[in-house]
Amino acid sequence: MARPNKTLRRNLIALSLVAPFTLTFLLVFAWPTFKVIQLSLTDAPLIGDGTWVGLQNYRELLDDRIFWVALKNNGYFLVLTIVPTTVLALLIALAVNRLRGWMQPFILAIFFLPYILPVSVVTLVWQWMLDFQFGVLQPMIEAIFGKRTAVFRDPTWVMPVIALVTIWWTNGFNVLLFLAGLRNIPTELYEAAALDGATPRQRFWRVTWPLLWPVTALVLTLQLILQLKLFDQVYLLSQGGPFNTSQVLLLLVYNEAFQQNNGGYASAIAMVLFVIILVVSVMQFQLLRIGRHR
Amino acid sequence: MAMGVSLKNVKKSFGAVDVIHDVSIEIPKGDFAVFVGPSGCGKSTLLRMIAGLEETSGGRIEIDGKDVTDEEPADRGVAMVFQNYALYPHLTVYDNMAFSLRLAKAKKEEIREKVAEAARILQLTEHLAKRPAKLSGGQRQRVAIGRAIVRQPSVFLFDEPLSNLDAELRVQMRLELARLHRQIGATMIYVTHDQVEAMTLADDIFVLKDGWVQQAGSPLKLYDDPDNRFVGGFIGSPAMNFFAGEVSGGGGGRMEVRTEVGGKVFTAARRGEVSSGQKVTLGIRPEHLKLSEEGLRAKVDMVEQLGGVSYLHVKLEDGSNVVVERHGLREALEGQTVGLAADPDDILVFDQEGRRLR
Ligand SMILES: Nc1ncnc2c1ncn2[C@@H]1O[C@H](COP(=O)(O)OP(=O)(O)OP(=O)(O)O)[C@@H](O)[C@H]1O
Ligand SMILES: [Mg+2]
Repeated sequence: MARPNKTLRRNLIALSLVAPFTLTFLLVFAWPTFKVIQLSLTDAPLIGDGTWVGLQNYRELLDDRIFWVALKNNGYFLVLTIVPTTVLALLIALAVNRLRGWMQPFILAIFFLPYILPVSVVTLVWQWMLDFQFGVLQPMIEAIFGKRTAVFRDPTWVMPVIALVTIWWTNGFNVLLFLAGLRNIPTELYEAAALDGATPRQRFWRVTWPLLWPVTALVLTLQLILQLKLFDQVYLLSQGGPFNTSQVLLLLVYNEAFQQNNGGYASAIAMVLFVIILVVSVMQFQLLRIGRHR
Repeated sequence: MAMGVSLKNVKKSFGAVDVIHDVSIEIPKGDFAVFVGPSGCGKSTLLRMIAGLEETSGGRIEIDGKDVTDEEPADRGVAMVFQNYALYPHLTVYDNMAFSLRLAKAKKEEIREKVAEAARILQLTEHLAKRPAKLSGGQRQRVAIGRAIVRQPSVFLFDEPLSNLDAELRVQMRLELARLHRQIGATMIYVTHDQVEAMTLADDIFVLKDGWVQQAGSPLKLYDDPDNRFVGGFIGSPAMNFFAGEVSGGGGGRMEVRTEVGGKVFTAARRGEVSSGQKVTLGIRPEHLKLSEEGLRAKVDMVEQLGGVSYLHVKLEDGSNVVVERHGLREALEGQTVGLAADPDDILVFDQEGRRLR
């Protein structure tokens, strides 16, 4: 008799506990998302309503050369960052993991430090280091490439350098994830492998690498999402220039919405980016999961 | 006799801490040797040195007559079974067992045969496709043993392999290990702090304490004829009873000792010299204590009745505990006062440093 009553009560309690979160979620995520979708189907300016234009914005997008340039640049940036930063973080974590005593937290702190800096400080630091006249890195560039270069105003240099800055800024967190993963692998497994006759190289590829794969998959996926949302660094370092060579989707959204006052069109670009992130990250995560089960 | 493993003046220190002091032992080929001792005495360290997982700070380690002190673990012809199994979680049972053979670039055919054979011996055939996470504790332990078997090492090393199993499974696996040893006849070194495992499995037991070998010998030798108080107390369950006392007389192969508590005189067989007034400790096993009217006064505190055997936990005047083993006890003795006595031949005498006086 008491049973259904009890279940009901339990459900009500659960509901009341998740309610604040659910309401907040609906208010600050679901509703704006819905509005953006709605907006992307109108010719609305930044503020105020527009008229319904159906898929007109999306059709226009297909013919917008800058949109394709930005999309391509986003892809280029992914290539420049995701795998390099993952490999780098893994190598650093492997090295740090070998350190003993006070050295380990000390070295780790050095690698992690950039991560806690705000992006504006990061970009300032690098702008200063790479300054055409006074930058401390310019002599090095000159020594290697024969001449000084204003990297943020050079079509070839701009994206790779932004990628470099981004990796320097965010890599510490990945190192931390890898380090946690490495610590989760029991030492006995390496000892068993040593007794089984595995060389250090084989120990890495047959024990460390497969056991670390879930962490690697996580790092790759987090990186993919993070780097697709590239905006701050470009906005602060190159404003998308020169000649749109560092133009990316989020910057385009910003320009269309806040500079050109095209709320509807900006919303359409935002929707495209949203769908890309969703599809690509889900796809990648599934792919990586399959990889784990061979 | 050909030696399977011999250690010559082996030492180990971690930094300034000496963990193994000058250990020299000989383990014949095909022997089942057990290292036993309390926690922290250096059993695992010694085993890991034989495996090559810890460097030796001094001395020589020989396996099958060959000096392996500076050899890599893989080149020593040893296989090790770890306490927590150390199975590769991402590989199936088959791949776990095939791991070393694949690294050694063995032929597919050969790998299949060896793994199948090990799986048959260990009754793992139907589990070959599973991953370790899907196995029970006992099955995992068998996979760990299988991984050792396929390598056909000349020495098997076990570090407390049964301590993660429940009591029933432990007894069962103990029997299986004994059977396995008979079947493949390789040298085995087994580390445990459980003296029952040591007694039941070993051809030779090495009792360790604080990095020293206290005594080596067959289980019964250690049980009947311990060299010191530590070995006497460590081997045997329930443990040997100790009574502090003082030599009060003797001669002619006898020695009389008056106990500190209760002041009763026990007579022990003794060949050597005795000096009156010397402080000694008597060691008497539970099964050697008899109940007798004239004996040392004690009060029965508790009786553990197992049917055939029963253990009387009696208390002396000063409250110290003594265990007496009785067979076929049927009376209720709790609360009664009894007297404890023993035959001279069943009483061991130790000096103040714990050394046996023979
Ligand atoms: N890597 C190490 N560094 C410093 N000291 C160590 C190290 N390994 C072991 N020790 C010390 O060496 C001593 C012996 O350790 P060991 O693991 O051999 O003991 P054990 O007899 O196997 O004990 P248990 O029954 O608890 O496993 C201990 O005092 C331990 O603290
Ligand atoms: Mg141990």
